[in-house]
Amino acid sequence: MTDEMAKSVSRRAFLAGAGAGFGSMVVAARAVAQQQNPRATHDSSLVRDTTNFGVMDMAVKPVRLPPKPNAVKQLTNAQRDALEHQLHCQCGGCTLDVFTCRTTDFTCQVSPAMHRDVMGLVEGGYSAQEIIDAFVASYGERVLMAPTRSGFNILAWVSPGIAVLAAGAFILAFLKRSQSAKTAPLGPAAKGVDATDDELARLEAAIRRDRE
Amino acid sequence: MILIGELSLWVALLMAAWSTTVSFAGGATRRADLTDSGVRGLYATFAMIVLASIGLWTALLTKDFSREYVAGHISSTMPSVYIFTAFWSGQAGSLLFWSLILSMYGTVAIATSRRRNAELTPWATGTISAILLFFVATTCFKANPFTRLDFIPLDGRGMNPQLQNPGMAIHPPNLYLGYVATAIPFAFAIAALFSRRLDAEWLGIVRRWTLLSWFFLTIGIVLGMWWAYVELGWGGYWAWDPVENASFLPWLTNTAFLHSIMIQEKRGMLRKWNVVLVVMSFLLAIFGTTMTRSGVIESVHSFAQSPVGPWFLTFFALSAGVTIYLVATRLRDLEAKAELESMVSREAAFLYNNLLLVGIAFAIFWGTVFPVLSEWVTQNKITVGPPFFNAVNVPLGLLLLALTGIGPLIAWRKASVSNLKRQFATPTSVGLITGALLFALGMRAPNVLVAYILCGFVMGTIVQEFYKGMRARQTIHGESVVTAFNHLVARNRRRYGGYIVHAGIVMLFAAFAGLAFKSENDVTLKTGEAYETSDPYGHKWRFVSQGVSTSEPRDAQVIGVGLDTYRDGKRVGVIRSEKRAYHDAQGNPLFNPITAVGIRTTPALDTYVTLAGVRDANTAELRITFNPLVVWVWTGGFVMMIGGLIVMWPQAERRRAQAGYVAVMPPATAGVPVGT
Repeated sequence: MTDEMAKSVSRRAFLAGAGAGFGSMVVAARAVAQQQNPRATHDSSLVRDTTNFGVMDMAVKPVRLPPKPNAVKQLTNAQRDALEHQLHCQCGGCTLDVFTCRTTDFTCQVSPAMHRDVMGLVEGGYSAQEIIDAFVASYGERVLMAPTRSGFNILAWVSPGIAVLAAGAFILAFLKRSQSAKTAPLGPAAKGVDATDDELARLEAAIRRDRE
Repeated sequence: MILIGELSLWVALLMAAWSTTVSFAGGATRRADLTDSGVRGLYATFAMIVLASIGLWTALLTKDFSREYVAGHISSTMPSVYIFTAFWSGQAGSLLFWSLILSMYGTVAIATSRRRNAELTPWATGTISAILLFFVATTCFKANPFTRLDFIPLDGRGMNPQLQNPGMAIHPPNLYLGYVATAIPFAFAIAALFSRRLDAEWLGIVRRWTLLSWFFLTIGIVLGMWWAYVELGWGGYWAWDPVENASFLPWLTNTAFLHSIMIQEKRGMLRKWNVVLVVMSFLLAIFGTTMTRSGVIESVHSFAQSPVGPWFLTFFALSAGVTIYLVATRLRDLEAKAELESMVSREAAFLYNNLLLVGIAFAIFWGTVFPVLSEWVTQNKITVGPPFFNAVNVPLGLLLLALTGIGPLIAWRKASVSNLKRQFATPTSVGLITGALLFALGMRAPNVLVAYILCGFVMGTIVQEFYKGMRARQTIHGESVVTAFNHLVARNRRRYGGYIVHAGIVMLFAAFAGLAFKSENDVTLKTGEAYETSDPYGHKWRFVSQGVSTSEPRDAQVIGVGLDTYRDGKRVGVIRSEKRAYHDAQGNPLFNPITAVGIRTTPALDTYVTLAGVRDANTAELRITFNPLVVWVWTGGFVMMIGGLIVMWPQAERRRAQAGYVAVMPPATAGVPVGT
């Protein structure tokens, strides 16, 4: 095997790999096609339902628990608002949290309903974590604005860091390698030049000036 | 004219197919006649798409409601400027708009580079035509703006009133101009890979078009932020929405390329990596479009979804496959001409810069697609929202900001200790003084303090660079301050334009950090009632409700509330917020009601009032938000635009003849400080 071939992938090797990759991509594309929700037909705009209220009502799932015995409110209003910043409005159309949505978009029926549920739980003496757990139990994890730090989701949190660190390590290794490569061959090459260090520096400066 | 437009679209399809075929054939067989025919085919495609576009504009402006696109996107009561912009406000129209820009760019790029790049021309023409073929085919078969309705409606549906905003009229075209411009460097990258030629000429073209793409993406993104801020009413300008992310991704890789290209120009290094960046920008632009069109990822931007999703996904997979094949089989042609000499050098700083920019791009890409991935793997639907993106990107962003200041201070090749000491003294002091001042004023949040220390440091670097350059000119040429400044910038547009862009970036970071002090007040006010609070700077504010008012202009019902506003006891005016419900000429409701936000802007802070709703004729529910430093986001964006313009200004072109020049010299002995 020549050096050239080692460096670049041969056509055959590439096609074999690409074939396998393409196979999985077809599977993936199918999955996407199946997943496409009915909203995808929206472009026949003349028949679009402008209110969407029917859809919205269906999106709300009650999150209610019986009040704790001798219930005492554990959260201040500010803490409650902070809690609502962690919950994702479930109307399906927006990407906002419950607090932001309910205080700005009065057409959304979902965030006020979710807010009422939060209020009920606060009055019932539940803690912030208990309220969040109750919402996750009803809606699933998508009700959280960010993925939890457990299970498969850990991958979401650590991948960017690992990728940057790995690439950073690669760059450092690359720099190290070019530095050590530099020290070896340059000795004899420099010998051929009949000039002092100072002269070389002046030459370089002159070349730079020329280029400016 | 409409009919001519409709037919032209089909002719454009044939032309693009012809041009693709003969161009690639011309490249493979090295036959100049085939290449010429391909190039003329591209020009003809452009002409046909122009005719088709004129056709669509005619249909819109003459309100031909028998066309589905016209009936679906405009109404008889709409202002004509928005009828004109309706061209790109829907799916089918925006696809045609893509083709229009791409064919125009392609024509300009090929016409201007043809003579100098005979070897690249057939492959570049072929690639541009192939992309055009895809877009025109999608338009023709899947989303044709000329499709007729079975009946002619009395009136059209109109445009979502939130989109009827001057920012929205120019935001999408800017983004499209930016997105599409990534296709030209991509085409030349493909051409270079096919023809195995990658030299200084190539660099010049690719750099110019990437800069153009960067420029328009910057404007598009900042305008989009501004639109979200003034129009959507949730009090912020960036929500890490998938579509926002999609516009940001190619911007990041473009920015990375514009930095690493300098290493290739100066030292002939990173040739492979630069090709990869060019390709990434294009693929990310297509990825962004795919996402918005396919409905795979939910987004508020899904104004226009349709079954073109699978087409885009296929196209994306196909272009990714072809490029990966080409890069993988041709790596050895792109060997570096020189080696890096030190970890403390301008080159190394650019590498770290690339690492962070691409790292941020990866983090955002990852967060955007992770919900889909998670659902496939665990059947678990999750949301990846702002808390995730902020947590992941803030540290990377701060590191990047630090590099913005460090990079320009380090010499090329190898920096010496004395060189570093001299260069860093002033900027570091500026940063530390900024931090100490803010600490003394009571700022304690560590993240924010670090951000402002870095802002000070980078600003110190920029000012020092300008100061040194101007001092040198004043000493050598005896120029006045103003003349020295003008000449300095004019003679080194790329360098000093770049610093101006950096200054804009600092303003943006300062504004982002200011958001940490944002405060929100949820208020219910009866007529005459007052609400008192203080802003993050400690000033006392008093808002007195003037009561709920209603009005009915021609096409809407409006409920509004005015707040008499006092700051530290002095009246500063009325801030008014409204809810508007639009209806058509027959009184049927159109769209969801929208909010008109009341904003009072000062350099220090915005007072942002949103009417959330009314309880009865007297009682209004409002949200009053203090948003510190928001105006610096727009200012920073504007400064970046100016800097970009300076860099792009044509006069800078002449000197690029030297680009790609590589001096082969023995290593510098004492770190001779050399400029860019």
